[in-house]
Amino acid sequence: MQVFNAFMKIMKKKVVISVMYLWVFAIIGIAIAFSDGGTALFEQNSLRICVFDEDNTPESRALCDFLDKDNELVTLENDRDIILDALYYDRVNYVLTIKKGYAEKLAAGNTDDLFESMKMHDSYSTVYMGQILNEYAGTVSAFIAGGNDVVTSVGKAADVLSQDAEVNTASFGEEDNAVLSGNASLFFRYLPYIILGTVMSTLCPVLLKLGKKDIRFRTNCSGLSPGSYMVQLFAASTVFITAVWLVFMVIGAIINGGMYSGTAWLAVLNSFIYTLFSAAMTVFVVSFEPSNLVLTILTQIFTLSTSFLCGIFIQQEFLGDSVLAAARFMPTYWYVRVNRMLAGEEPFDSSLAVTSLLIETAFAAAFAVLAVLVRRAWYGRASAVTA
Amino acid sequence: MFLHNLKYELLSTLRHPALIFWLMLFPIFLGTVFKIGFGSIYEEDTLFSSIPTAVVETADNSILREVVDAVSGDDSPLLKTTYTDEDTALEMLRSGEVKGIICSGDKVTLTVKNSGIEQSILKSFIEQYGVYETIIKDTLENDPANAQKVIAALSADVKACTEKPVTQGNTDLFVQYFYNLIAMVAIFGSETGLHITKDNQANMSSLGARRNISPTPKSISLSASLVGCFIAQAVCMVICVTFIVFVLKVDLGGDLLLVYASSIVGGCLGVTMGFLIGSIARISADAKDAVSMSVSMAFCFLSGLFISNIKGIIADTVPWVNSINPVAIISDCFYCLNLYNDYTRYSVKMISMAIYIVLFSALGVILTRRKKYASI
Repeated sequence: MQVFNAFMKIMKKKVVISVMYLWVFAIIGIAIAFSDGGTALFEQNSLRICVFDEDNTPESRALCDFLDKDNELVTLENDRDIILDALYYDRVNYVLTIKKGYAEKLAAGNTDDLFESMKMHDSYSTVYMGQILNEYAGTVSAFIAGGNDVVTSVGKAADVLSQDAEVNTASFGEEDNAVLSGNASLFFRYLPYIILGTVMSTLCPVLLKLGKKDIRFRTNCSGLSPGSYMVQLFAASTVFITAVWLVFMVIGAIINGGMYSGTAWLAVLNSFIYTLFSAAMTVFVVSFEPSNLVLTILTQIFTLSTSFLCGIFIQQEFLGDSVLAAARFMPTYWYVRVNRMLAGEEPFDSSLAVTSLLIETAFAAAFAVLAVLVRRAWYGRASAVTA
Repeated sequence: MFLHNLKYELLSTLRHPALIFWLMLFPIFLGTVFKIGFGSIYEEDTLFSSIPTAVVETADNSILREVVDAVSGDDSPLLKTTYTDEDTALEMLRSGEVKGIICSGDKVTLTVKNSGIEQSILKSFIEQYGVYETIIKDTLENDPANAQKVIAALSADVKACTEKPVTQGNTDLFVQYFYNLIAMVAIFGSETGLHITKDNQANMSSLGARRNISPTPKSISLSASLVGCFIAQAVCMVICVTFIVFVLKVDLGGDLLLVYASSIVGGCLGVTMGFLIGSIARISADAKDAVSMSVSMAFCFLSGLFISNIKGIIADTVPWVNSINPVAIISDCFYCLNLYNDYTRYSVKMISMAIYIVLFSALGVILTRRKKYASI
């Protein structure tokens, strides 16, 4: 158990730095879980609308009430820069100005140029709201043409427009299968970035210390077999990364609003397998005895590239086919596939879930084997040099 | 003496592998990843394009067909329709080929797979059709004399809203990832800045020990190190921006010269932040590296490197965070240049960066001074 004990002694000395990394990544994870996660940018039914009512008449207020029924009215200062920021960062989807003279124009049956909207680009929100406003103005105009006064027409238009169309949802047997709360599924989506970053940042310094030339040479000439050395190294690494993983699982459970239940345990298993992969990859990378700098570089490259290309920072449905085809060769892609099923973003397919977990496990095993092979080759070379 | 030190500082900085990677290769790598990942998301998913819709005619409804054809026919149609049978339409909906199925039976209905803005537009479309049908029927039943006027009003081409673009800049939301990438490279200049203290403090490196016993005044060796790092960082920032703009062909928006200027000033800010972190305490070089990296990544996260709209969320909840986050300030410079017509807010951001540079340098110098070989 000498290697195991040495690992733990070194870890104890580096515990402050490890804890610092752990908490930085944990705080990032918690912050992500309670953010919108950017999903609001792409999927929305109710719009956040800011209305500047320059007319301020019963008719214009009736329009505001009508819009408020299915949307969220947001108040903004009438300042171009503030509006620009709100539109750019998607805090507001549509900015509408009801022009002065709106009620008079409407009463005269004139439906042109009643409003002005500020837009960033031709988005779906702009088209949708344009359609709603035209429909509203057209309907009021029709009631006025039918002999009603403007106030009655506005009321009738609001009534008739509030009748919902018959909309059926085709489920195709794909019922809502979300087993994690929205915040927890977001936390688990970003977990590969957090785990890989934490494991590489905390495990590498310890493994590097153990692999230092002097220590390695002393280990080589001891009675310890390379096999036993690797077993102890993997055992110590597993104990450490399990502790790290447990911290994140506890945070996940708190974010989830309670202990995981039913299929949600699959998310826990998925994250554990990914943690094992992260540890195996870290041991493999450290086998080459890189410098601290190269390790930091590799950590950033692995964490950021897999996160951007496999669907963590940008959801898989928005990534191009060629990007996803390349991402299939990374375990992070398969982690995200399982997580998407558990978050209800795609139909749950148990065989795909099992396949994904097996692929992740295979990646972990492959890196562990590679680490052993590299170590043997490295020891062999070192023995040849020392001989 | 200063120029002599500066020359060797530049040579040693440019030969430093960390600098080559963090400030030259890493942005090239990450920028390429961004370009591959975000390539056409903006055009395909953010900008409006005709909504693919299946139309199933279970009963003869010539009015609906006319209306559907009208919104499917012009230059920028609302719908991209396919007339088909129910089974094919359902299969198309299942596979995602269409966003909804409009069925024209006795009553016009919509079938969708999930909710979203495209489905809401389809719902609004059939509601509009239903509303107009109801109004005409009611008028014909209750007030046939006005029917012609009502039909004319409903048939009129309504253009109630004038749309006014809020900016002339590049409105691609994903360009902000590139702003944050440049800002990240700038703040990673802290890695270069850390070496100033490492190379000047006797207990941090053998070079620091040699420098401490040399007759060169500390003020000269430190200022030469700082200026050398500024120059090296500036070169790296220029390479980074040039690669993004001219190789990846990303439209950052705004005046390109000012983009270069902002990135250079941002890089100097990163260097001074590293200088300050390196000067703060007598902790190990590894710990200083860890602090510098963690602080930089945390700033990058809060600026939106990982979640595009987090800066907006912070602006709504704790706006002062954006005002003090150095990475957010750097990326805001590019944002202001791109979207704003005037330079007021851009100037504020540049002044904020200058204040940070002066503050970090001054604090770094104060913390470094009087640390003689004997006193460490």
